[in-house]
Amino acid sequence: MNRRSAQPILTWTEGPEADVPLSVRDLWVEYRAPRGAVKAVRGASFDLYKGETLSLTGESGSGKTTLALSLIRLLPRSANVRKGQIIYRRDGQEYDVLSLDAGDLRQFRWKECAMVFQSALNAFNPVLKIWDQMYDTVKAHDHSEREEVRRRALDLLRLVQLEPERVINAYPHELSGGMRQRVLLAMSLLLNPQVIILDEPTTALDILTQRTIIDLLRKLKEELGFSMVFISHDLSLAAELADRVATMYAGRVVEVGNVYEIFYRPKHPYTLGLIKAVPTVTGGFQELASISGSPPDLINLPTGCKFHPRCLYAMERCREEEPELIPATKGHLVACFCWEQVQADWDREWQQREPEAMEVAWPRS
Amino acid sequence: MGVPSALRSPKSASVGTARLIRRIVSNYLLRRLLKALFTVFFVTTLIFFLIRLMPSNPIEVYINELIVQYGFSYEDARNQAASLFAIDLDAPMAVQYLDFLRHLSRGDLGNSLRSPGTTVLSVIAKFLPWTLFSVGTGLLLSFTLGVSLGMLMAYKRESSLEPVLAGIGSFLSSVPNYIIGILLLVFLGVRWELVPIGQMRGSMTPGIKPSLTLEFISDIFFHAALPIATYVLTTVGGWMLTMKSSTISTLGEDYVTVARARGLPETRITTAYVGRNAALPLFTQLAISIGFIVGGSILIEQIFVYQGIGYQLLVAISNRDYPVMQGIFLIITASVIASNFLADFLYSRLDPRVRIVGRE
Repeated sequence: MNRRSAQPILTWTEGPEADVPLSVRDLWVEYRAPRGAVKAVRGASFDLYKGETLSLTGESGSGKTTLALSLIRLLPRSANVRKGQIIYRRDGQEYDVLSLDAGDLRQFRWKECAMVFQSALNAFNPVLKIWDQMYDTVKAHDHSEREEVRRRALDLLRLVQLEPERVINAYPHELSGGMRQRVLLAMSLLLNPQVIILDEPTTALDILTQRTIIDLLRKLKEELGFSMVFISHDLSLAAELADRVATMYAGRVVEVGNVYEIFYRPKHPYTLGLIKAVPTVTGGFQELASISGSPPDLINLPTGCKFHPRCLYAMERCREEEPELIPATKGHLVACFCWEQVQADWDREWQQREPEAMEVAWPRS
Repeated sequence: MGVPSALRSPKSASVGTARLIRRIVSNYLLRRLLKALFTVFFVTTLIFFLIRLMPSNPIEVYINELIVQYGFSYEDARNQAASLFAIDLDAPMAVQYLDFLRHLSRGDLGNSLRSPGTTVLSVIAKFLPWTLFSVGTGLLLSFTLGVSLGMLMAYKRESSLEPVLAGIGSFLSSVPNYIIGILLLVFLGVRWELVPIGQMRGSMTPGIKPSLTLEFISDIFFHAALPIATYVLTTVGGWMLTMKSSTISTLGEDYVTVARARGLPETRITTAYVGRNAALPLFTQLAISIGFIVGGSILIEQIFVYQGIGYQLLVAISNRDYPVMQGIFLIITASVIASNFLADFLYSRLDPRVRIVGRE
């Protein structure tokens, strides 16, 4: 694998490069469609720090899943990575994921970067037992002793709070949806990867099972110390689990920052809209607001800032020019020309509210 | 203890019967077996009456033959026929039927009318193996070939190879097998004289001793080559097209994507993840088509003069040889039902999701 020349791609990163296992820079992905190219990801950039949870949020169709799939190059055939870089770092080495050859890519997948999918219901081959699929996974990467693999698989199943002996000999259809999601989680930890991508891991599950999975994820991360990209349109889950949050709109990261910063001091009108659209148990309906308009057509995108047709702050400049992702405050980046005004309005509203109400709205343990 | 036995026993007897019925109902295998037996019985009965409702009867056919071929007068022919046939066709149908059932329950399928002294069972035992051999080989060959080609088509569905194969596949699967048989005979055998069809008649060269020698095995394959080629050509298209669509839909399954994400080698994904799941529905079809081995061979065996059970059935029908017809139809029915049985069993072996039902 070729080492890449050092380049100024980590301009906004604090700390040494070694602490950033994954960097994405200016990634463009298109899907071929009869009507034209669907621009699913348009110049997305972000860094993933060691041991952190980065939450990617945004509406459906904002490019979250496409971005995640391109991280392990698992995009469907109709997709095309136009340009950009995905840099993976381990032990002082840098790897360009987009130019890995087939064999290296196969090794990279799961061993370095595992992915937990949304639909765990169909994630397993229905004709093979869980154990066979676990062993398949290990065999594809290492030459481990069968007994050792079994012991590790059992340990991991115990770690995700399943009955190891029963589950390992089960066929996928004998397990419930929540159990399968946990098995997939255990399987993703099997090779001890540095990065785990979770693509809406709880969306298909009921609220109580969601709860256990989220608690489990937090516990696992504390014990094992991997980095996590957590994709979810559910802001409250992101608030609970994430260290940092990145908001995506029309294939672009429009705001990244520390989880407190994002939820208590959002700077992009879109993030602001998302936060206001989340109902709270005590909040009542008058505080709920949705974002007007609908997500953009990814084939014929609006000019300038892609959010301007739906934005309350839109001005002439927004129609002509697309804002870059720039640091607003320390570690908080935003792609908006009027972030200062958004900030000011939010602060005014914030002061009018009672502090306890906000604490109920966004509880943090 | 205190309850008088006279009071208790009738109740426990009815409980026992109820339990027996419940056991039959709840035992999957037993239930299937009873159903299968009933089907065989029903179809056999139907055939018994149907073949007797066909115009003409064995005696008429024989009389006609004597008149046309040997110039017998009707009276002479009738006398000759009456002395030959040891069957009373004037007896009421119900009596004939009960007689047939009585023999059948003893495993006796009766004697052939046209060749007295030959039991139907011996006819079946002599000719059925050849049909099983030729159609079975053809089926296995075309299944293997079709499944492989179907997967190839699914994987190469964006190349120019795919439409060519798909065209060939749908052409072959839409042409009836006897047309293909006749075409093979006419072009390979007569027009171009590529194969010695004269020597290929029959199921083996007369005088050769059945043994496990290379000579004998190559001889039976030589004689069965054209029927086998016909079976392969007419069924391979269906397997190809079914396997192609099955593979394409399996390739879209999440577990295949996840398997790729897990970094599994492509060969492992193709065999254990795509191939095995895509072929599942085809195994059922394979087992079912085994049931049609006997029925499907009738015209082909006649075209190539292959001495199998289908050929015998055709002869028996034209002679109205009732016992032989009944016997062969019974075999056909039984093999269709048995292969359905096999299909279910096979499917439950191959797909763990169905296995649970079979176990209970």
